[in-house]
Amino acid sequence: MMASTIFRSIQNHPLLLYQTALFRRKNGVFYCTMKSTEAQTATQEKQKPPLPKIMKQTKTSDKFSKDYEAVIGIETHVQLNTLTKAFCGCPYNYGSPPNTSVCPICMGLPGALPVLNSKVIELAVKVGLALNSKLSLNSKFDRKQYFYPDLPKGYQISQFDVPIASGGYIDLDLPVEFGGGHRRFGITRVHMEEDAGKLLHSENGSYSQVDLNRAGVPLLEIVSEPDMRTGIEAAEYAAELQRLVRYLGVSNGNMQEGSLRCDVNVSVRPIGQAQFGTKVEIKNLNSFSSVSRAIDFEISRQVLLHSQGQGDQITQETRLWEEGAQKTVTMRKKEGLADYRYFPEPDLPGVILTKEYVNSILDSLPELPEVKRRRYEKMGLSMQDVLFLANDVNVAEFFDATIAKGADVKLAANWIMGDIAAYMKNEKLTINEIKLIPQELAELIASIKGGTISGKIGKEILFELLAKGGTVKGLIKEKDLVQIVDPVEIEKIVDKVLSENPKQLEQYRGGKTKLQGYFAGQVMKLSKGKANPGLLNKILLEKLNAQS
Amino acid sequence: MGSRALLMLKGVSSIAPKNQIFNFNCKSSRSSNSSFSFSQVVINHNKNNKVRRCSTTTTQSSLEPPDVSRLAETARISLTPSEVEEFAPKIQQVIDWFGQLQDVDLHSIEPSIRADTEDSNLRDDVPETFENRESMIAAVPSYEEPYIKVPKVLNKE
Repeated sequence: MMASTIFRSIQNHPLLLYQTALFRRKNGVFYCTMKSTEAQTATQEKQKPPLPKIMKQTKTSDKFSKDYEAVIGIETHVQLNTLTKAFCGCPYNYGSPPNTSVCPICMGLPGALPVLNSKVIELAVKVGLALNSKLSLNSKFDRKQYFYPDLPKGYQISQFDVPIASGGYIDLDLPVEFGGGHRRFGITRVHMEEDAGKLLHSENGSYSQVDLNRAGVPLLEIVSEPDMRTGIEAAEYAAELQRLVRYLGVSNGNMQEGSLRCDVNVSVRPIGQAQFGTKVEIKNLNSFSSVSRAIDFEISRQVLLHSQGQGDQITQETRLWEEGAQKTVTMRKKEGLADYRYFPEPDLPGVILTKEYVNSILDSLPELPEVKRRRYEKMGLSMQDVLFLANDVNVAEFFDATIAKGADVKLAANWIMGDIAAYMKNEKLTINEIKLIPQELAELIASIKGGTISGKIGKEILFELLAKGGTVKGLIKEKDLVQIVDPVEIEKIVDKVLSENPKQLEQYRGGKTKLQGYFAGQVMKLSKGKANPGLLNKILLEKLNAQS
Repeated sequence: MGSRALLMLKGVSSIAPKNQIFNFNCKSSRSSNSSFSFSQVVINHNKNNKVRRCSTTTTQSSLEPPDVSRLAETARISLTPSEVEEFAPKIQQVIDWFGQLQDVDLHSIEPSIRADTEDSNLRDDVPETFENRESMIAAVPSYEEPYIKVPKVLNKE
């Protein structure tokens, strides 16, 4: 029964399937051409597990999805990379032995009082400004009360009616393989709060285990406007937030570690209807591709129910994304709004910002992803290049440093996206871990452009630099790699090759002109790759055709 | 309404015990930053804006008698029927007192977010390890190295 539901609901969405298929095909092409594009976009971050078998398209299902529109909003929790927790001095390090980084404050012992970490405010202001939000110069903390074993105090310190930032937007570019396009998604609010502990369920299931290391770690909750319409848009929104917090240096944004967590709200409505449909919340999304696929699954599920006149079967509930089965399942039904009995946190004073403080942070903001992309675009780079280079802040900095040393923009982009990216992927290294430095990449590009070395030798030098470091000049000298540009010297080599291959020469002159490539290869080999290719070909051709 | 009354009650009671022992450091790193004016305050008019609204516009007549059983349930407190009967009038007295407060005409007054916002008390982001972890862990009712053991939980609520 369940299986057939999935089958039908996916059938129902031929458009999205087509996109996926298209994307994969293109991806293959990119790999073939060695033109990198690896890790370029969020959705490419991980190798996709094979989708369940599907692929039948019907015209009727086509019609259904065209009649409906999905409305998607996202709540994102970003763990701030402060050294200490939000309200106590306990250090937080991911992966520490359980319950070692705890104190009376984060364990919620009676009488313990919270004191806010000033860094939390600083990072919240950075994010608020970067999201073009309006900051509340005067905000406060509130208690959100619920009972759960990972919450020692019986309440979470959060912000309720006066968040530190509200309004705003984020700009992003959709990946070229999804048709591209620029999007602006609204931000409803950004507020500060503390994380709960980690709850583990024991193997035999008779009890649960709590680790309070994470209890009290500062989070920002970023709430989007319901502006997204597809799984791809939602995944790209999340990816842009990750980029933003990494550019800002406020979080590592790592989804696997739970430093960036997305809860997605999805509803579907007939096109033209102003009122939203019943929304369903999806949890357990720990990669961008699962965000995208979970939403597309959920849209199909809801559209199917609508189209069968069973729209009333969609209930407000929380569903879990099951990665293995590639579907969402009911986690719990919501019975009305949870009553959190918020009230102002009496143990903490208000959060007061001055305009001077906000301005000093504004002045210290780095170039943000959107500005960087627009700048790269103006430099004449293709959108494919722009998205690749700006995706990772460290790659962008490497690229910026390379062109700051005078390197040609397009050539620098090609080297980074091509051989350097491939090397990083093979060796599982980040750009900060390779031995090549931007200055030497610029030198390498200049040496090839200026004719000191050939492109082929350039590649050899590149791999040497990537693995061992050193300088381009040093390697050229050490290995005697300077390109041969003296026509007389090249002529000598050509003569030698021709005299050593009389048979092939005869064949060539007998009309088998394809053999030119063979001769060129032999000359290159003999010159140890140092012969200038242009000169080589010119001289070779003259000699080959001389007596025919 | 009942839960609102509880909210008020909790708010009042939790101010009481101020034990400074565990308050690591009260170094105020940015106390000079308190030069704000109320005109700059951004107030969100959320749909969930219950707390704020009740402090300005509600009148006594809208304060319903407490549903003590429900209050006890939200606070995870078990009460006998006789206790419910005993507490109801006491809680009603407190609610009536809030009713009096809410009768005060505040329409010409800007809402204050916090009563004591002049003094911001912040901490630098410097790690400090709590020295007496062992005795804290020893006091956990059910502990099985390295985790705190709790009854099996599946869903919230």
